[in-house]
Amino acid sequence: MKFIISLALKNLSRYRRRTLITAFAIAIGLMMFIVVDSVLIGVEAESMRNLRWYETSSARIMHEEYWEERLLKPLDISVEQPYEIISSLEQIGIPAAPRTTFAADMILYSDDFGEDGNMSVQVTAVDPDLDNTVFRFEETLIEGRFAEAGANELVIGSWFAEDIGAELGYWVTFVTRGRGGFYEAMDMQIVGIVNCPNPNVNRTLLMIPIDVADEYLGMEGTVTEINMAIPERSDISKEVARIAEMLDDSSQRVKVARWDELAQDYVALAETKRGGTSMILFMVFLIAAVGISNTMLMAIYERIRELGMMRALGMSDRAIQLSFMIEAGGIGLIGSITGVLLGVLGNIYMVNVGVDLGFLMRDLDMGYRIQSVMRGAWSPATLVVAFLFGTLLSMLVAYIPTRRALKMDIPSCLRHQ
Amino acid sequence: MIQVQDVVRNYHAGETVVRALKGVSLEIADGEFISIAGPSGSGKTTLLNLIGCIDALDGGEITIDGTRVSQMDKRAKTEFRRHNLGFIFQTYNLIPVLTAYENVSFVLSILSLPEKEIEERTMRILREVGLEGMEHRRPDRLSGGQQQRIAIARALVKNPKIVLADEPTANLDSKTGEEILKLMKQMNEKYHTTFIFSTHDTMVMEYARRLVSLHDGQIESDERR
Repeated sequence: MKFIISLALKNLSRYRRRTLITAFAIAIGLMMFIVVDSVLIGVEAESMRNLRWYETSSARIMHEEYWEERLLKPLDISVEQPYEIISSLEQIGIPAAPRTTFAADMILYSDDFGEDGNMSVQVTAVDPDLDNTVFRFEETLIEGRFAEAGANELVIGSWFAEDIGAELGYWVTFVTRGRGGFYEAMDMQIVGIVNCPNPNVNRTLLMIPIDVADEYLGMEGTVTEINMAIPERSDISKEVARIAEMLDDSSQRVKVARWDELAQDYVALAETKRGGTSMILFMVFLIAAVGISNTMLMAIYERIRELGMMRALGMSDRAIQLSFMIEAGGIGLIGSITGVLLGVLGNIYMVNVGVDLGFLMRDLDMGYRIQSVMRGAWSPATLVVAFLFGTLLSMLVAYIPTRRALKMDIPSCLRHQ
Repeated sequence: MIQVQDVVRNYHAGETVVRALKGVSLEIADGEFISIAGPSGSGKTTLLNLIGCIDALDGGEITIDGTRVSQMDKRAKTEFRRHNLGFIFQTYNLIPVLTAYENVSFVLSILSLPEKEIEERTMRILREVGLEGMEHRRPDRLSGGQQQRIAIARALVKNPKIVLADEPTANLDSKTGEEILKLMKQMNEKYHTTFIFSTHDTMVMEYARRLVSLHDGQIESDERR
């Protein structure tokens, strides 16, 4: 065994250039794997956080029947006495805020916008006092101020404002049907523009005070949803079950949905992307495997005579096989160590600085809730997997060419040029 | 005692069958220094390979010290070669990354001998073949003659019953070739090891105590001197 290991190590240094080139190829493959995986984990974690902070909150309470009809945004299926529920939630340490969302036609006027026009939009009515205890819009205001309770004021997403040419002080009208089906028109003045890390919000946000919406839409104190901020480190499923149990005792028929239920489309998209990225990673590994296999094939074929001599002198096929696999494992080990080190270096940059893809995200909706900088995240498991995979895969791909060479008869090996 | 009885070996080159050995029979006593001579394609290397258990025959039988080696399976043949046979090749076939010492000692490592015994036996055989002081040199820093001396040391270090040498002097100049032959003969006399070598060099044939001539896969003459 000592001789086998010693021979394998000596052959590694004998073909130094070959060893280094192959190890370098493995290292690049592993580095790519580590960095891509890190960015994927980072982007996904940040997207999920931005979903919770700006779109869905951690969990949402709504009327039991609203869930099925949620895409139609019906106003007549709403939660009654929302502030009683909010107060109960606050008592168990969970900040909550009511919202009413409704679909409307937004009319733009030529006086402000240069030409008349209209478009279908979704409007979110929020409680100015409570909304920022659940969502994180406080720091996102880039122009103006937030809408005040009782005022016909509107806050708009920055990209939306850019797209329609909106500025502070412009007026728009929302035409919609109130609770009960009557038509209503609301004139609103833009008082603030927000730009948050969630591009979806920047593209679509229209936020008005909930008391104004209540009056116009005839909500009679009801709301379509109550959003909650469950502490980040808590087990959301457990908390949701606890809240649902608490609400069961009340007379209201409500459902509590987790953020990932609310963002089913995103979760499905993320899973599909993960599948696609796994394919890319698999391809990276395949290229590395073919590279090592080819190197080992060449190494074995140029040493066929040596192999024949060792077999003639009574060395077992198993020992020869092991020697070549240790040699390949050595290449894999050098490549894996280098690859993990390069991956860690690349990751330090990706985690702390990241790549600014703002120019791409502005016009291209990739589904991720990242506005510009894509950052990585540390994953010790990925480093371990990359290291083991690089080393073991190298050994594995050496098995087949060695096996083939050992199938040759000894005289043919000895004659081999 | 090696007994070769009516041995047949055919090779297939596409649809053509090349009959390398056509019923060769031969007996070789222990300690003989025998040369298998003949022109290229006469079957001498094939006969050597069959006796050396590195090729399979198509007919006949080979027995070494009562063991029917031609009936053995692959694993048993490997085991047999490991303990009983030594090989010397025309192109030396040394492992370039190993030193002279390591090229010889690895044969004993395969036998799993204790480290101390490996060292003693390796140093002794290197001294006997005239390579004392060169044990740490790699093959690329040695002459052809010195490399063949390592190959002889490697073949003899495990005290095999038989040493098979395929054209051992073909890559050497005549003076070095003669030195190698003298060394082989000296080792044959000292250790009483059977030496069988193939050649088509008349100078090499001169050294043999028995000369078997092959022609076209058959024994043409068997001459004892």
